[in-house]
Amino acid sequence: MNRFAALLGKETRALFTSSVAYVVLTAFLLIMGYSFSLTLFLTHTPSLVHVFFQIYVLFLLTVPVITMRTLAEERRQRTLELLLTAPVTEAQVVAAKYLASLGLIALMLALSSVYALLLGLFGTPEWGPIVSGYVGLLLLGAGLIGVGVFTSALAANQVVAALVSLSLFLLFWIIDQFGYLLPDPYNALVTNLSLSVHFKPFATGSVYLSDAGFFITMALLGNLLAVRALGRR
Amino acid sequence: MDPIIVADRLGKSYGPRVALSDVSFAIAPGEVIGLLGPNGSGKSTLLRILAGYLPPSSGEVRLDGLDVVRDGFAVHERIGYVPEDAPLYDGMRVAEFLRFMARIKGLRRVAAARAVGASIEALNLGAVREAPIFRLSRGYRQRVAIAQALLGDPPVLLLDEPTNALDAFQVIGVRELIRGFAGRRTVIVASHVLAEIGRMATRTMMLVDGRLLTQDAMALAAAATPRLCVRAAGAAEAVRACLAAVAGVGAVEQAADGSFRVVAAPRPGQEPDLAAAIAAALVGAGFALSELAPEAADLEAVFLDLTRARRAAA
Repeated sequence: MNRFAALLGKETRALFTSSVAYVVLTAFLLIMGYSFSLTLFLTHTPSLVHVFFQIYVLFLLTVPVITMRTLAEERRQRTLELLLTAPVTEAQVVAAKYLASLGLIALMLALSSVYALLLGLFGTPEWGPIVSGYVGLLLLGAGLIGVGVFTSALAANQVVAALVSLSLFLLFWIIDQFGYLLPDPYNALVTNLSLSVHFKPFATGSVYLSDAGFFITMALLGNLLAVRALGRR
Repeated sequence: MDPIIVADRLGKSYGPRVALSDVSFAIAPGEVIGLLGPNGSGKSTLLRILAGYLPPSSGEVRLDGLDVVRDGFAVHERIGYVPEDAPLYDGMRVAEFLRFMARIKGLRRVAAARAVGASIEALNLGAVREAPIFRLSRGYRQRVAIAQALLGDPPVLLLDEPTNALDAFQVIGVRELIRGFAGRRTVIVASHVLAEIGRMATRTMMLVDGRLLTQDAMALAAAATPRLCVRAAGAAEAVRACLAAVAGVGAVEQAADGSFRVVAAPRPGQEPDLAAAIAAALVGAGFALSELAPEAADLEAVFLDLTRARRAAA
């Protein structure tokens, strides 16, 4: 536990001593603040559904930036050799990087909860969809980071890692559009790979275990494959 | 005493390129092994396999009775490793980095702080304790890398070119440090600098083109036929003929500087005083003898002989 705490501490410090975390946080808060106020003034409805969909798209764009350096940078600096010859497991190394990145996503969501508090103070919002929206975003973030850490484990270059995960996210964002064109049963199979299909219910207040399971599977699979990628040397 | 490291027919290939082939050796606890070889001979690959970073393509290595592939975690608890070119976390400060390495080696806070202090003192890093690593000179980086390997007091140290980029004083410091480990820790130091290895190792292994040419180059050097360096005024051919006529002389070669190298003929059981015989013969023949000195076969000679023989065979 001591070793894992040290790894997690190092990853968190690395994330917050680089400019990435602050650039991402600033961009996120500026865009969301603008979008929240604009939507509220236009609709006069105490709801965060629109905000959730915008955060969803922002996550697809920012997670690759957050995760790109995790393992690719260790490989480039050759510090991976130091880490993997120390008495820590590959799973611990990956998990520490994963959790540190998830921490940043959680911080972004925590800061955006100001919008919900404002709605609560000055209106009477329906809390169910707000809570389910946040749960959905956290699960989405968990799944995306899993994939991001995996691509970073494969690439020796941060930019390549970011581009690969961004391409994957964009593909799985719109893959349901292709799914509708396919014959039965392939249409259901491909449509169910879509991030949007699994996120929509959360944003609108319905929580299905299958949707949660989809994002959790993404996260676990990403971590597992990243551990495997580190093991292949 | 049981060996602490045993390699059995190790091989490593990167695709079609063979980096190591059929490497077997045993190392007793407390030995300081110099691993000598030209650049690209497979030293770093061998150390990476011993450190459990790379799996061998064939054969196996046991460290303290543990298989380095299957029991990687337990092996990592027993080693301190300095990779080639001293990779470090550039974004960290020296003490912060060492604290982190101590913690992932399993030391608790207080023990970690104590180990970091001892390491900083041993490598003389006090002046850069709080300096960011990306600002350090190559010499300091190298010393920080050695300092992290000492954390947790591992019984086995694997050092890949540890004196690279150090100045003369720092080299002496590191050499003394490594020499001091003899008898207490098992150390493998890889280097392509002959003089360095000769001064710190208790035994030298030579690796050329991925093959282990000898497990004890120093013993080879000591056992090599002694040679004498002779310098005398006079016609070169006449001097050579005079030298060749001395009983007990095996071969005479003339060096580029005009001096002669005389190799004794192998005569088991007899240790004639060849120098005295040569001196008497030259002076008797009227040559002015200006130099007559025994020339011990050194590591360099063994290294060059073995490397040439290996490359000729290949």
